Amino acid sequence: MSLRETINGTTRADRLLFVLLVLFSLCGLVFIKEVLPQSREVKIEVEGKLAYRYPLDTERVVDITSPSGRLTVEIKDGRVRVTHATCPNKLCEHQGWIRAGAIICLPGRISVLVGGFGGGEDDNVDAVTG
Amino acid sequence: MKKEFKVQRSTFNVRSSQLRLKSSKSAAGNFQKGASFYLLFTVYCLLFAALLSCSPKKESIYKKTKVEMDTVVTITVVSDSEEKAAKAIDKAFGEIGRLDLLLNFFSDKSELAMINRSAGAPPVRVSPETLEVIGKALCASEKTGGAFDATIGAESSLWDFFQKKKPDDETIRQRRGLVNYRWITLAKGESAAGLEKKGMLMDLGAIAKGYAADKAVEELKKNGVRAGLVAVAGDIRAFGLKPDGKPWKVGIRNPRQQGKDDEILATIALKDMAISTSGDYERYFLLDGKRYHHILDPKTGYPAEGCRSVTVMAPDAASTDSFSTAAFVLGPQKGIEVLERMGFEGIIVDNSGKVRLTPGLKDRIEFKRND
Repeated sequence: MSLRETINGTTRADRLLFVLLVLFSLCGLVFIKEVLPQSREVKIEVEGKLAYRYPLDTERVVDITSPSGRLTVEIKDGRVRVTHATCPNKLCEHQGWIRAGAIICLPGRISVLVGGFGGGEDDNVDAVTG
Repeated sequence: MKKEFKVQRSTFNVRSSQLRLKSSKSAAGNFQKGASFYLLFTVYCLLFAALLSCSPKKESIYKKTKVEMDTVVTITVVSDSEEKAAKAIDKAFGEIGRLDLLLNFFSDKSELAMINRSAGAPPVRVSPETLEVIGKALCASEKTGGAFDATIGAESSLWDFFQKKKPDDETIRQRRGLVNYRWITLAKGESAAGLEKKGMLMDLGAIAKGYAADKAVEELKKNGVRAGLVAVAGDIRAFGLKPDGKPWKVGIRNPRQQGKDDEILATIALKDMAISTSGDYERYFLLDGKRYHHILDPKTGYPAEGCRSVTVMAPDAASTDSFSTAAFVLGPQKGIEVLERMGFEGIIVDNSGKVRLTPGLKDRIEFKRND
């Protein structure tokens, strides 16, 4: 069947169907871009450089070493925490589980970062002073 | 089920009636009509897609946290593209890193270390940024009668809050004679700065972070960012509005936090303003039931008493950083007075836990209930 014959053979209903199908596929594109969340991951930086990336939904325990300290990081149920740190004040251990944001070990210069680069986090404040 | 079947049948009827009609019309004309329909529709779709890609994209908030200036720095920007946001944020982090190389008290390579090494000798040439911070520090000292004093380095270097060691009283007393901002020489014409007495040490730790937040905001603006927030530890500078048209919301830490639920004492909305807090809970140790913290009174060399935390709001973070320290040293009553005189806003939690506010803040602050 040639193109001419195909086009000649279409009716108003065919055209309506064609338009609807095209619109549906466009909607799908927009939906994927705007609504579906990006996969979340844990990024671990050592001395300001990205050293490890792990998906947030896979359970694991990792030891992170830097020239100035060592941390044990646990990832479980979409959350992350530091279970052990070699530094004296252990602020990162006390911070507990987080789902978004960062746990930072200053003496060890290790940052555990959760969540994508974009998108507002669920915190109700944008920053904390003090 | 029955209904659906009917619809299908009627569609079929339309089709068959059209087929009948078609035979009477010229085949060529029909083709033209059909082809022009598909062509037109394609053109419409393309136009629509072009319009979508050209129209301004939705703005989002992008955030990055890094360790700079031996502390946690978070930069937040509003942008319509992730790429643009990442570029601006990296530039701002670069600016903070550059300033740290100039102003770090603990590094031997900083310009500040160079000034300290040549204390007692003629002033040394430094960069415009170092000159500017020292100028701002001197201004804060003059406005607060020396409650803020950058030459506190001679005393602050004695204290080690990690090792939890209190220096002996005799050494503190001896060093007192090396703390006086009037002995800072600033030769702007020659771009030089110096300290008059040998043994003096300049420590810009109570102003450099705020200054860095100001410079990072300048860098973001230079890179086309219309709204954002730079937090160098607790020294925060915000500009513009969030994508939802609201101002930035900043929490003020509770100086005597017990658990996770009472971390925030109050929240405040911030637009084109800076905010800083000085607290006795940041770096401290307890010895014989007494709290020794890092905010030293330049007149005594010992930790200042009277406050638990002081939060200051002003147009720039170099001011909020230095005046929060100064007001802490002055104590609750004089602290509030100096802030009011400067036209700044402030919240002071005194050592009994009582909260004092500057009058302008009463309607703007929202206290969090922790009961």
